[in-house]
Amino acid sequence: MKTIKQLSIFLENQNGKLSDIFNALKEESIEIQAASVADTTDYGILRLITSNQIQASKLLQSKGILVNVNEVLAIEIDANTSTFANAVETITKEGVSINYLYTFHKDGNLVLIIRPANLEHAESVISAKGLKLIQGWE
Amino acid sequence: MSNKYWNEEIETMPRKQLEQFQVERLKKTVEIAMGSKFYAPIFKERGITPESIKSVEDIRRFPFTTKNDLRENYPFGLASLPLDKVVRLHSSSGTTGNPTVILHSQRDIEQWADAMARSMYTIGLRSSDIIQNTSGYGMFTGGLGIQYASERLGALTVPAGAGNSKRHVKFIMDFGTTALHCIPSYATRLAAAFQEEGINPAETTVRTLIIGAEPHSDAQRKRIEEIWGAKAYNNFGMSEMCGPGVAIECQEQNGLHIWEDNYIVEIVDPVTLEPVPDGEVGELVLTTLNREAMPLFRYRTRDLTRFLPGDCPCGRTHRRLARFQGRSDDMIIVKGVNIFPIQIEKILMQFPELASDYLITIETIGDNDEMTIEVELAQSTDDFALLQNLTKEISRRLKDEILLTPKVKLVGKGVIPQTDGKAVRVKDLRQNH
Repeated sequence: MKTIKQLSIFLENQNGKLSDIFNALKEESIEIQAASVADTTDYGILRLITSNQIQASKLLQSKGILVNVNEVLAIEIDANTSTFANAVETITKEGVSINYLYTFHKDGNLVLIIRPANLEHAESVISAKGLKLIQGWE
Repeated sequence: MSNKYWNEEIETMPRKQLEQFQVERLKKTVEIAMGSKFYAPIFKERGITPESIKSVEDIRRFPFTTKNDLRENYPFGLASLPLDKVVRLHSSSGTTGNPTVILHSQRDIEQWADAMARSMYTIGLRSSDIIQNTSGYGMFTGGLGIQYASERLGALTVPAGAGNSKRHVKFIMDFGTTALHCIPSYATRLAAAFQEEGINPAETTVRTLIIGAEPHSDAQRKRIEEIWGAKAYNNFGMSEMCGPGVAIECQEQNGLHIWEDNYIVEIVDPVTLEPVPDGEVGELVLTTLNREAMPLFRYRTRDLTRFLPGDCPCGRTHRRLARFQGRSDDMIIVKGVNIFPIQIEKILMQFPELASDYLITIETIGDNDEMTIEVELAQSTDDFALLQNLTKEISRRLKDEILLTPKVKLVGKGVIPQTDGKAVRVKDLRQNH
């Protein structure tokens, strides 16, 4: 499957926790390409795409941070609003249900990180619609 | 002689004979304790003499001894032998008042080592084993007590001591350690230290863990056994009775045989102090039968347990105690409900999503006592719904067990404070406590 690896990090709401994580990555010169934090009152989940997911995951785990490595879809499109709107409309029309989405810029293009309810179905829809899926880069 | 027992005659002695053996030792102990400033006047007042002891039932003529008696007679008031016959002293930390001091003669040390060696033999340890001790070698009896016993067993004994998990990992890998003595919370922490070095603890040479000194649930034991790919046996002792070596689970892993040649064992209602009906939970009360520097009569251990009925398939006739259900002074009362931390632990351990560390906090919010349970997650997830359902399900099962609904807070690894001694499980922040 054409997926990429995402790190999902459990965060208790505690001052300085996010900085600890970003500083640890900085010290090892691991670049953060995209980050997204979702939260409840007691805890949150930090989702990360970095320049080296395996190294980042090992590093954070060695610091006692709980890290889950999972698969998400990364669609690369032209960086303009109408392409963005069209891409999302195209796939949701085909019945792809999106749990969450965040974006980042890469070489002048826009990358949409998507976690659909059904990964396999979403991947086949996106491929069939001729959208560009990024695979396994780290 | 079978090679199943350390001391077959004692361990398999028929009950009647064992009781007669206890009576003889009780007489002897009374004779020794007449040298104690504390017991001599009590014996005189109650007409207790060696000759007047006819059966085990005579134990009820003795008053109870409490930790407070030890504190009030600090440091040497309960000594039965003159101090020149005493060779060792162990003491509690005394954080809540005078420390309690326990004295040992040379013979006491030897008998203690022998009892704990018997416990080790019972769980299958032999002189060919390499036993590593993770307890502190100071006033805590888990250090020297295990050391002497393991040496008496003839095993190669590694006195690595408390803390420094990295060094423990190295020793286990380098020496081929086959057995570990540790408190249950350290068994999981040490396993984590292995995992951090990329080593699966189940693939090490360790095949037996002696765990004790902290109440723990059967679920926690099973988890320790899984992580380590080893057998974990519950070991019971307390410094007032000598130290480790009072009772041990045999290989049936169904209750702890308490060495009744060394102790008269009673289980009483902690309020009325009357014996509870056989099989019911109460406070364990012990009388030492094989100690001379500082024998104790009807000592209230504060540990809650019950006798298991029936004979044990292992052939030992010494009665079995159920896993300890907490201490009578660990009990917390919240909104009029009596709760033991072990009840909460038992529920938490049912969830594979959770790690072993937890902290119960009770505080007054407005006019109410509120209980919060922080528990460490074992792994992260990308799924919020899973975390929300998890807290709901934990609360629901806790309510079934303790009859009130605590707030459950999931936290990451290492958030709950660790100490090198026993794990802190309860923080009571209420003003009147």
